[in-house]
Amino acid sequence: MFKAIVGHSTDVDSEDAIAEILDHCQSQLGNQLPQAGLLFAAMNFDYPLIVKRIQTTFPDIQLIGCTTDGEMSSVQGFQEDSIHLTLFCSDTVTIHAGLGQTLSDDAQAAANQAIDSLKLNNLQAIKLCLVLPDGLADGTEVALRQLQSKLPPNTPIIGGLAGDQYQFQKTLQFYQGEVVHNGLPILVFCGDSLKLSHGVASGWHPLSRTAIVTKANREIVHEIDHQPAVQFFQEYTGQQPIYGEYPLAVFEKDSDQFYLRASNQWDLDTNSIHFMGEVPEQAKVQITYATHDQIITAAKSSIQQAVDNYPGQQPAVAFLISCAARRWILGVRAQEEYALGKQFLDPALPIMGFYAYGEIAPLKMQGQSFYHQETLVTLLLGVD
Amino acid sequence: MTEVPPKEKELTEQLKSLDKENRKLKKTLARQERNLERLHQSRQMSESLLSRAVQEAQQSEQALQLRSQELEKALNDVRAIQSRLLTADKMSALGVLVAGVAHEINNPVSFIYGNLEYAQQYMEDLLTLVSVYQTCYPKPNPEVKDCMDGIELEFLKDDLPKVMSSMRMGAKRIKEIVLSLRTFSRTDEAEYKQIDLHTGLESTLVILGHRLKASADNAEIQVTKSYGELPQVACYAGQINQVFMNILSNAIDALKEAKIEEPKIDIATHCDNHRATITIADNGPGIPANIQEKIFDPFFSTKPVGKGTGLGMALSYQIIVEKHHGQLLYDAAGPGATFIIHLPLK
Repeated sequence: MFKAIVGHSTDVDSEDAIAEILDHCQSQLGNQLPQAGLLFAAMNFDYPLIVKRIQTTFPDIQLIGCTTDGEMSSVQGFQEDSIHLTLFCSDTVTIHAGLGQTLSDDAQAAANQAIDSLKLNNLQAIKLCLVLPDGLADGTEVALRQLQSKLPPNTPIIGGLAGDQYQFQKTLQFYQGEVVHNGLPILVFCGDSLKLSHGVASGWHPLSRTAIVTKANREIVHEIDHQPAVQFFQEYTGQQPIYGEYPLAVFEKDSDQFYLRASNQWDLDTNSIHFMGEVPEQAKVQITYATHDQIITAAKSSIQQAVDNYPGQQPAVAFLISCAARRWILGVRAQEEYALGKQFLDPALPIMGFYAYGEIAPLKMQGQSFYHQETLVTLLLGVD
Repeated sequence: MTEVPPKEKELTEQLKSLDKENRKLKKTLARQERNLERLHQSRQMSESLLSRAVQEAQQSEQALQLRSQELEKALNDVRAIQSRLLTADKMSALGVLVAGVAHEINNPVSFIYGNLEYAQQYMEDLLTLVSVYQTCYPKPNPEVKDCMDGIELEFLKDDLPKVMSSMRMGAKRIKEIVLSLRTFSRTDEAEYKQIDLHTGLESTLVILGHRLKASADNAEIQVTKSYGELPQVACYAGQINQVFMNILSNAIDALKEAKIEEPKIDIATHCDNHRATITIADNGPGIPANIQEKIFDPFFSTKPVGKGTGLGMALSYQIIVEKHHGQLLYDAAGPGATFIIHLPLK
């Protein structure tokens, strides 16, 4: 048995919101006790109070979560100022939470700390790792590589980076009763009965001329085509400040396959751009663009990939992680992403998800996990 | 402890609810304002990005057009080289064949032509002897008379000189043709050297002689020559002869095709300080204005499929312009087709 129960409240009052969620979840649980929970919350809530209420209600729960840029669930649909909690019950799958801290100081150490805090003797039993890193701290890719090296080969690592409603000031992560920032909370699922599938798609297409990154240091790009990186962007975007909606397509070597790197930070003193992910030197890059229809089409593709690849008959829950930039561009059409989930999935299937500052998922089944931007990641979980 | 009256409790609840609603609306409003501002900026950026992309697409289109033209030119060059190689190869093989045949025929023909003089002399001697016999023995015996009647001696005496003369003319003609073939193929003169262009023209006309004659459908083509004084010109003789052959063949084809009543070809040469000029004009229908600019393109032909390769004039153009740094022009002024060849003297 593997069951997911979702509670979702749009109440602005933290106390009332979590009470509403817990009441709803308990009514669904009956006499079952949840093993673990995923909590997603918009900004300006009393998070210590919320996690305390959850811990008090379910003292043994393995809980992680983060702040978001938007929330969605099968209870309330797409929302922008809400809280939702998903509880997992199972008699065949065991779930454990861990936390790595000070991600930006030493991402490798943070990943090791997250794994150690699971207190698991046998890491080989892990079948899936959900991860919700700080969305403004550098180091996600380093941490991701370290997690991948610690976990059994080809264990899918899936998740999204915490958001703060496009303020880009501070994102928060939840682990058990703690509220931290610059953290790396993880939730691992163990058990041979676990079945899962995933999909990922963006909808962005290269638009500018092709250029080469001629000077870069991990997330910071100094020069493109031997001219200041800011100047390259300004050729296209004018004097506007850079936004995540127009990411760079970074092409894999000698390939037309690319991944996206977005940025919200320019350093006009040094004319460099701080991206939300690594951009290697000598990489071929192009500024990209997406229309609403292209984004929606890609959302369909992501969901369809997961549905097509699900190895069992009936998943127990769907987890959608979408990029905040998608929500910004889609505007009033943002709810179509969630609506597509409803359309392509079993109407009775619990759905939960959030808008993130970056997404993490493998590009294909049994593949290595990558840090993406501007994508919709779909995860289906179950035992049947 | 004082109990709160139900009405007051209800009011407190309503107040609390209104306050919550108010906070929610404020939050939504603040978010909408941020969204609106951000969308406005995003739209400006989008416009800038798309406008730049359109500009680049236009530049790219222009660059592609230029590249396309370059590629088209390169393709034409490749075709020209291909045709030149093909034709050069074919002509080289044909030249070797012609030279070989001419050489093989030349010896026996010389043998025949050389001995014809002796045969003529012997024949005349024998006829003189017969005359002497007839004078000395005006009344031959019956056996001799039967033989004289049998061989029709009087007719034989009259016809034999004509037969000999005809044989000499035929042998002479064969000698001329063999010489022309050797001159035309010039396999022995592949190098750049000083030649007499008139000899080349004459050789070509000899080879084309049979095509100039009248046939069932066409009148004989009159060739008029206005040769000026030409110095020896340095060139590849075989190739220049090939140009004469191509232009004259085309002229003959055009005249026959149009069934011109009094067909003629005028060949004129003259020389100025630095170049020799050969003009070949016919009184055929000429070349239509819309295809005049294509006549030197490789594989362009007005002849039916299988009749023309479309390489003759392209090859001629290459020989004159590229190999000899001269000019090959089509003059549309005349009633028929007029080709002008300018060859530098040095």
